Amino acid sequence: MSDANLIILLSTISTGLILGSIFALVAVGVTIVYGSIWMPNAANGQFFVLAALLGWTMTVSWGIHPAIAAILVIGVSVPLSYGLEYILVRRFYDVPNRNISYFVLSLGITQILTGIFAATYGRWSDQFQLPPLVSGITFIGPLPVANNRLMVLALALSILAALFALLRYHRYGRAIRAVFQNRDAAALRGVNVKASYSLSFALGNAVIFAGGILFALAYSFDLTVAWTMSITAFAIMIIGGPGSVLGAVIVGMVFGFTQAAVSTVASPTIAAFSYLGAMLLILLFKPSGLFAR
Amino acid sequence: MTPVTEKKDLSLLAKGHGLPLACFAVVAFATPFLLSGNRYFAFVAGVTMIHILWASGMNLLYGYTGLMPLMIAGLAGISAYTVVGLTASGWSFWLALPVGALAASISGIILGLPSLRLKGFYFTLCSLVIQTVVTLGFIYFSGLTNGDTGISQIPLPSMGGGQPLSGLAYDLVLSAAAVIGVIVLIVIVKSTLGRRLIAIREDDELAGMLGINVTGYKMIAFFIGSLFAGVGGALYAPYIGFISPRSFDVLISMNIWLMVAFGGRGTIWGPVIGAILLAPLSFLLQEYYTVKDILYGLLIIAVIVLMPAGIAGGFLRKKKESAPPLDVPATPRGAK
Repeated sequence: MSDANLIILLSTISTGLILGSIFALVAVGVTIVYGSIWMPNAANGQFFVLAALLGWTMTVSWGIHPAIAAILVIGVSVPLSYGLEYILVRRFYDVPNRNISYFVLSLGITQILTGIFAATYGRWSDQFQLPPLVSGITFIGPLPVANNRLMVLALALSILAALFALLRYHRYGRAIRAVFQNRDAAALRGVNVKASYSLSFALGNAVIFAGGILFALAYSFDLTVAWTMSITAFAIMIIGGPGSVLGAVIVGMVFGFTQAAVSTVASPTIAAFSYLGAMLLILLFKPSGLFAR
Repeated sequence: MTPVTEKKDLSLLAKGHGLPLACFAVVAFATPFLLSGNRYFAFVAGVTMIHILWASGMNLLYGYTGLMPLMIAGLAGISAYTVVGLTASGWSFWLALPVGALAASISGIILGLPSLRLKGFYFTLCSLVIQTVVTLGFIYFSGLTNGDTGISQIPLPSMGGGQPLSGLAYDLVLSAAAVIGVIVLIVIVKSTLGRRLIAIREDDELAGMLGINVTGYKMIAFFIGSLFAGVGGALYAPYIGFISPRSFDVLISMNIWLMVAFGGRGTIWGPVIGAILLAPLSFLLQEYYTVKDILYGLLIIAVIVLMPAGIAGGFLRKKKESAPPLDVPATPRGAK
């Protein structure tokens, strides 16, 4: 009896940790891009699914080992981001109130990718499942957990830690943060603003891709996850404070646990309602977010 | 400086709508007769009329009041579900229509409340969240809405005698709705109300200092804009005969936004042209519906990047818009 409750509790905690770390990754990706170039990337969910689908193609269709596929997928994001930056994003760097233009732009990208996914992957399958990264099962107390999911959790947390270290201590990270805070002052101190913009765009998207491929390795997914992820990442970013990486990580973790707990007792839709409600309240009463920079 | 000249431009544009209005009315009422031989094309024309109504409502908010709500489809959905629910429980369609439209406009006012505190991107994001909540609500409360399956075989509204409205008569009703919608928009824009909304669009703080009740006028704009959405949604449900949460999801809101932005926001005829050009696409490309999504996405990007003022304003404002891009390379070079 209490054993069953313990299993439910432990499984909620483990799901919450994995989901939370993935939410945190995607939200950090969105918040880095918003904080630096003011681009609210509504296409983050589509990028997330794109990474997952590319991983699926590489592992299931081409037979590449999942670990190599994951690295390749994250690698693919770099030329993709620089291409997008060169063609579209760069045009608006000096436009006042560019966040709304960027928002609509990214909604356009969302719609294009939705169409492409429906035309290609949508015809093949409803549910996509990747082969596991590592096999085997570990017992945490009475709860069996797939080693694969533990591996995903470890990877997600270490990417987050690396990102923190990069932003806090490395030259590039400091440049990005300087441009976050005051673009003109950073430019006067010799920071190449434009290079830091394209770097943060690429970095943010790489993190979103990492979140997508890790999610795909841990869970099976379908194409509808894209929009849910977009809205969830926005909710996390707004509540955590736009541009605040720490806020995105903390709120992302909280959302992961909420999702896991609410899905156990009620339904995922209720969880979605709860975040959207929280986001509306924050938007109305404290638009700078809980962890404002 | 600029707001004043632009205001003059718009008041000039607001004059002399008689001829285009007459042409539009003639075309709108002639189309059902001309296409009566081919039910499919007549149907596409009818749906286009509904989109003209939606685009005009969006235009009032986005073009004239300067708010960008991405929840028009959600409001239309609220009205459509209300009407379908009421007619299913025995109401006449013609009685349910105003009730549904009113439900949409009251929801519009409530959902528009964030606009009092939020501007620009944050308001748009907020409206997108509301749109998502409304769509989730349509799916979640499946007792009322039949969830993702949707409601099919919605009966046609009946005429006075009790027999259902014929295809041609329904097409004419839709044409009349579109023409009345455009007339209402012209009247609003020409009136003091329209000028005050434009003042709010240009600078709401300044408008407030000039003694304009910004809160009240924003709410009025939301009421009327949502009424357009609601009437469109109420007419949409029996015309298509099928509604589901997908018929009113965020992509539809984006499409309505695109019609307004592509045609030219802040002009009467731009969004009408946008709706006429874009609404039939989704039906003509029905077999390749994914192509439609890709095409709409590309158009959204093209509108944002190449012609922020749309077709109607694109040629006029191009010279003004070309100034900022020249600055783009200057800053980083200067920074080095």
